[in-house]
Amino acid sequence: MTTTFDTGSALAISNVSKVFNKGNENEVIALSDVNLNVHTGEFISLIGPSGCGKSTLLRVIGDLTGFDSGSVQVSGKSPEDARKERLYGIAFQQAALFDWRTVSKNIELPLELAGWDKSQREVRSAELLEMVQLSEFGNHRPWELSGGMQQRVAIARSLAVDPPLLLMDEPFGALDEMTRERMQNELLRIRLDTGKTIVFVTHSIPEAVYLSDRVVVMSPRPGRITAEINVDLGERTETTRESDHFFHCVTSVREALRLHDTSGTSTSSFRGEV
Amino acid sequence: MNSKLSYLWPPILIAALFLGAWQLLVVVQDLKPFLLPAPSLIASEFSNGATLMWGAAFYTGTTAFLGLLFGTIAGLFMALLAQRFITVNKLVTPLAAGLATVPIIALTPILNNMFNITSRTPRVLVTAIIVLFPIFVNVMRGLIQVNPLQVELMRSLNAAPRTTLRILRIPNAIPFFFTGLKIAAPLAVIAALVAEYFGGPQEGLGSRIASAAANTAYGRAWAYVLAAIITGLIFYLAIIAIERLVTPRSAQLHVKA
Repeated sequence: MTTTFDTGSALAISNVSKVFNKGNENEVIALSDVNLNVHTGEFISLIGPSGCGKSTLLRVIGDLTGFDSGSVQVSGKSPEDARKERLYGIAFQQAALFDWRTVSKNIELPLELAGWDKSQREVRSAELLEMVQLSEFGNHRPWELSGGMQQRVAIARSLAVDPPLLLMDEPFGALDEMTRERMQNELLRIRLDTGKTIVFVTHSIPEAVYLSDRVVVMSPRPGRITAEINVDLGERTETTRESDHFFHCVTSVREALRLHDTSGTSTSSFRGEV
Repeated sequence: MNSKLSYLWPPILIAALFLGAWQLLVVVQDLKPFLLPAPSLIASEFSNGATLMWGAAFYTGTTAFLGLLFGTIAGLFMALLAQRFITVNKLVTPLAAGLATVPIIALTPILNNMFNITSRTPRVLVTAIIVLFPIFVNVMRGLIQVNPLQVELMRSLNAAPRTTLRILRIPNAIPFFFTGLKIAAPLAVIAALVAEYFGGPQEGLGSRIASAAANTAYGRAWAYVLAAIITGLIFYLAIIAIERLVTPRSAQLHVKA
């Protein structure tokens, strides 16, 4: 089940551009000349205001939308091939669980589509339920779970076929602050356990800093990468969020965001985008 | 159990008050049965002619059931095709809307001429045409109104359209299907009954109501109307019972997940 890379490059994006409504008067340059390299096992966050193209970039990587020029390599393959070979798992802002399936059956969905047989699926979903600490809830229906628990199920589902890459589009955006911090710690633990490469879209600066090895700052009109900030916080502990170094990193990201905020809108107007 | 009973008593109380007021009105104002028969008269006609009522209800109920069955199958089939192929969608949606606006009263004599008037066939056809539209519209909506994130998820998992239909769209459409059925089932009884007004076998509720009224047996006519209401209710309750069996509690409570 493990996938090895000869290059160590999980993701190589060069000169990628994408235009919505091309030729129309409401033409929008969603992505302009984006370059990004992510190495295997790295955790990067994409951060920026609405319309900066962070969600679009994530969808380009996942081959959920196309792009107009440039090249994208996911584990050395085209996004389409990577998707068809199920080389990534994805989680969204909403858990998007299927109400008519039990929690276990939701987690087994990717396995079902990948053609695993029933007994293998059951072993794997039990394993994943344990990983997200929901072992007692396998036979529950999704709507019996809290928002945080549902999101843990969605993360378990994204890990089901053990893909090397995890794409996450504001997965904690709809959760309250307390739950959110707990979920961040769980994600870091899962990352340590599994060694996944993670691309994480967020509009929360502290979240990006706390989770990531590198924060990629994007800016709108046209959507582009304007800064990359390395976060070298080392192992996260209970006191990390209160450390001077954490605040220092948060400040750097905030300044990088402000530098390109030419629209005059305040950062408090950041809105989630789906 | 107690809470279920507390659900039941308000409508029973209102029905009792309504019937009491009705009876009082007829007695005090000395209304003639052709204007408004008393509930007591309807009740006695109903119990005296119970075997006839039951037979007529069974005949019309059978027509309604067959029409509901064929109309539902056709509606489901059309919705599946329309979901899959845009061109079929463009062809079929106006057609279904057209069928929904065809008055059964205009259609029945025509179908009676086209098919054997002494058979049940034209009545079943009329009923099926009436049933088709609510089924088609609701199922279609259920197949199309899917959480876009779940569609993206299926794509990320490299699911073929057929697989997405089976795993996502059809289960998503089931609560919508039952919404359609709940509209269609009582409608089927009404259609089957009205279709009897245009000649053909005289065993059904519609024929009996018409002939009782023609013979100035108003109490009996109303008793048959009561039998028709009960038949419609049985259809409706049967659908609700099937829904309870088939779908999990959640899908009934909040259609939109």
